[in-house]
Amino acid sequence: MEMLSSLLLIFLIGAITTYFVDSINRKFTGIIAFLFVLLGSLFFYSNIHIGDVFVFQLGGIEMQWGINDYSYYFSYIVLGLGVLALLYSIKYIEGKARQGYFYASFLLTILGMIGVIISQDFVSLFIFWEIMTWASFLLVIYNAYYKVKTKGIKYMIFSAIGAYAMLTAIVFIKEHYNTLLIGEAIERGAFNFQQYRYIPIFLLLGFGIKAAVMPFHVWAPAAYSKSPMSFTTIFSGAMSKMGIFGIGLVLSTFYLQHNPENFYWVKLALGWLGGITAVMGTLYALIQVDAKKLLAYSSIAQLGYIVVGLSTGTKLGVMAALYLAVLHAIFKGALFMVAGAVERQVGTTDMTKVSGLIRRMPWTFFVALVSIIALAGIPPLGGFVGKWLLYEALITESNNYFLVIVIFFSSTAAFLYSYRFLFGLFLGQEEKETEHVKEAPISMLIPMLILGIGSIIIGSFPGLIFEPAAKAMQAIGFKDVTWQMSLLSNIWGNTTHLFLISMLIFSVFIIAFLFLTLKGLKKTRYVGTKEISTSGELPKEWENFTFQHNFFKPFERAASPLYHLNMNRIWKDLGKNTEAFFGFFRKLYTGNGQTYALYVIIFLVLLLLFKDVIFS
Amino acid sequence: MNDIIFKIGGAFLTAILAFTVGMFYAGLRRKITARVQNRVGPPIYQNFLDLLKLQSKRTNVAHGFMGHMAPIWIIIAAMTVLMFIPILQNNLWFENLTLKGDLIFLLYMMVFGSLGMALGAGQTGNPNSAIGVSRGLSQMVGFEIPFVMALVALMLQFKTTSIADLMHFQFTSGHWIILENPFAFLAALLSSLGMFRYSPFDIVGAPAELASGPMSEFGGKYLGTMMTGGAVFAFIKLVLFVDLFLGGAGNNSVEGIMGTGLGLLELLLKTFLFYMIPVFVGLVSPRYRTEQAIQFFWKWPSVFGILAILWALYKNGTLL
Repeated sequence: MEMLSSLLLIFLIGAITTYFVDSINRKFTGIIAFLFVLLGSLFFYSNIHIGDVFVFQLGGIEMQWGINDYSYYFSYIVLGLGVLALLYSIKYIEGKARQGYFYASFLLTILGMIGVIISQDFVSLFIFWEIMTWASFLLVIYNAYYKVKTKGIKYMIFSAIGAYAMLTAIVFIKEHYNTLLIGEAIERGAFNFQQYRYIPIFLLLGFGIKAAVMPFHVWAPAAYSKSPMSFTTIFSGAMSKMGIFGIGLVLSTFYLQHNPENFYWVKLALGWLGGITAVMGTLYALIQVDAKKLLAYSSIAQLGYIVVGLSTGTKLGVMAALYLAVLHAIFKGALFMVAGAVERQVGTTDMTKVSGLIRRMPWTFFVALVSIIALAGIPPLGGFVGKWLLYEALITESNNYFLVIVIFFSSTAAFLYSYRFLFGLFLGQEEKETEHVKEAPISMLIPMLILGIGSIIIGSFPGLIFEPAAKAMQAIGFKDVTWQMSLLSNIWGNTTHLFLISMLIFSVFIIAFLFLTLKGLKKTRYVGTKEISTSGELPKEWENFTFQHNFFKPFERAASPLYHLNMNRIWKDLGKNTEAFFGFFRKLYTGNGQTYALYVIIFLVLLLLFKDVIFS
Repeated sequence: MNDIIFKIGGAFLTAILAFTVGMFYAGLRRKITARVQNRVGPPIYQNFLDLLKLQSKRTNVAHGFMGHMAPIWIIIAAMTVLMFIPILQNNLWFENLTLKGDLIFLLYMMVFGSLGMALGAGQTGNPNSAIGVSRGLSQMVGFEIPFVMALVALMLQFKTTSIADLMHFQFTSGHWIILENPFAFLAALLSSLGMFRYSPFDIVGAPAELASGPMSEFGGKYLGTMMTGGAVFAFIKLVLFVDLFLGGAGNNSVEGIMGTGLGLLELLLKTFLFYMIPVFVGLVSPRYRTEQAIQFFWKWPSVFGILAILWALYKNGTLL
């Protein structure tokens, strides 16, 4: 029995079983889905090894599945996050309708993602890509089952555009290079931007849409925030990384070459697209009032950093991109889980309605705090390492100096929405409406805490991720990638010692905690959020001190020119104009027999007039 | 063994120096402000008295977990950044950890304290605190941009991201970076106005509108700790600017205690001169609105920042 195909079979059987189990006994659906994914992951890591290849014929086309270091690296994201997300789902989705539909689509999505990373020929890549897209589409419309037309349409359209672009590229690769294997296509120079430039461009378009790169990101905010949160964890954490996986594959030609002059413009364009994505994602994230939407826009921004990292093409830059890909999965997965927990316990994630949950949901707050620090890139947590690698790569190794400023602007503005998320949901005034709220159930807390602790550990020992990332980079064309367990260094020889920094911070924390907080803690009493200094006036019971509306209005005013760029509107206008353009052709069909007769006569006259030209 | 004594003793010495100088400068600023406004003003050591009073108070109320964390985070940020900033050149006492972290790390570590403060202020539930935090974070996006441009320019020009290397270059060559890249200095100087948060950029505390903003719910030991952290931070910023642009401090030719003393004197002189710029600008300016403050930094300072990067590229031959 071939291992790779039986792995896919596990997920397929899992999807079908859960669908039917749901109609027999709804209690066990989630647990069975979780067990299947756990089984699949255990099977993957025990039986499948790097270098496994499986070749077979299907309809006369040679298909090849296999695993190398690069795809193994992405399997950590997909399966690791998949197991945690399904464990989280059990309680999150409990009591909701159509659980069989939910879990079956969920397992199919994971199947599609695993398929994408193991396929080594374009046909199976495309098939699995479509399975992944369609299964995820079913989940995007899960909450809008009867309003499919309005809710899922953008995701549908952009996925279709991406799929067509990819298919076109695949057909042309077969036509010009006579191969369908990805490895052979790279060897024969299909992606080197020399002869048939549209092939890599079409492929980048297909992958870039999944990675939500500007200007094709417009599907993402709605899709990320509308689908159930336990799925968005995977959707934003792992599935967007499939786009990154593909972009990495296309650019591997660039990494392999030693004098990549062809790629100058590609590098520049991709880098700036990533930079603009990061800035616009951040700017829109910080004006959101719904926590889910805020996280969705922030995902777009973070993916922008990853694209920038890939576009540099230097060791440090690609390392930053791969590192951030895993780290984004960790902290954004955790944050979407936090949003889901709040949604389940309170009923809404609208930050103008919810506030002051810190004492009601302390563990959830802890995870949110840790993940937000990782997101903002503040040492000593994992996010800082990614930021450091990206900046140093851009400053020392690439000659794209102004892009650094753009990225820096975006990541400084990210502090704003980071704070907004924590303040909006957990800090601020404690409201009467949320007094009854309880902490999330333990089976939801466990995956959140695992992810949170993960980003703490990685902050001191990023080598844990560097090791597989270095192997992955060697698999896509780099030579001699070096890394150290807890030391960062650039090509100018400057270093940052992470473990030392963590120890210093930790020891100062212990000392300050002992002598400052613990000493006087016993004698203090907790005052509510109403007992605050109000210049001597006693606030009445009904008086409201909540500050949640227009939180960053001054910033919005200062940056107002940037907010005038609205990609949504541009796409809508494009749609309208195209419709008007084709509306003109519709007018030709008048429904009148006389007009049609006229057309026939005009056609014959034209034929007679130009007969010499046409038939010569 | 000797090494460890130098390390631990040096760390303590650095902390005490930073604390004393920071508090002393704060007192000096109060005095100068008073004299300009034709008042007598408090004595220079008034801040020490204030701190003593605050530390001897017993705290009765607590504002929850983040309220407890806020002063701790501020002191963590202050101590960590202090350990990574080179105070004197070629001096064993003040070496600390200066070679173990670079400018990008410092830049991010400096935010740590503000974040802790913001979260602590958020949990108290005081709307003034939240408004202050919202303003402070927005303003930070303003002044960080020209500052980062200046830093990137320096990094490109001297091909290093380490602050100790930049200082060393100024020593060995004898040229101060203020002359090597004047645009970078201008951009950094203008953004330092925002960093010190004196008028016209005192929108975070804004005594007349926000009742001291994020600080308003803290008292006693916690407020005292925050004051200490603030004083250390003021010292850190000044030393950072002196190290980057004004040649750093530390006399090479004289050995031993005398050399250290002379070096510290040089440091005090340079930091004092630099400190007077934001103080005097503050004395004659009214307060900006938040959006004006942000836009200020995105105009001329950023232009200088871009010029600084171009100048750096021209100097090291990448441009043209």
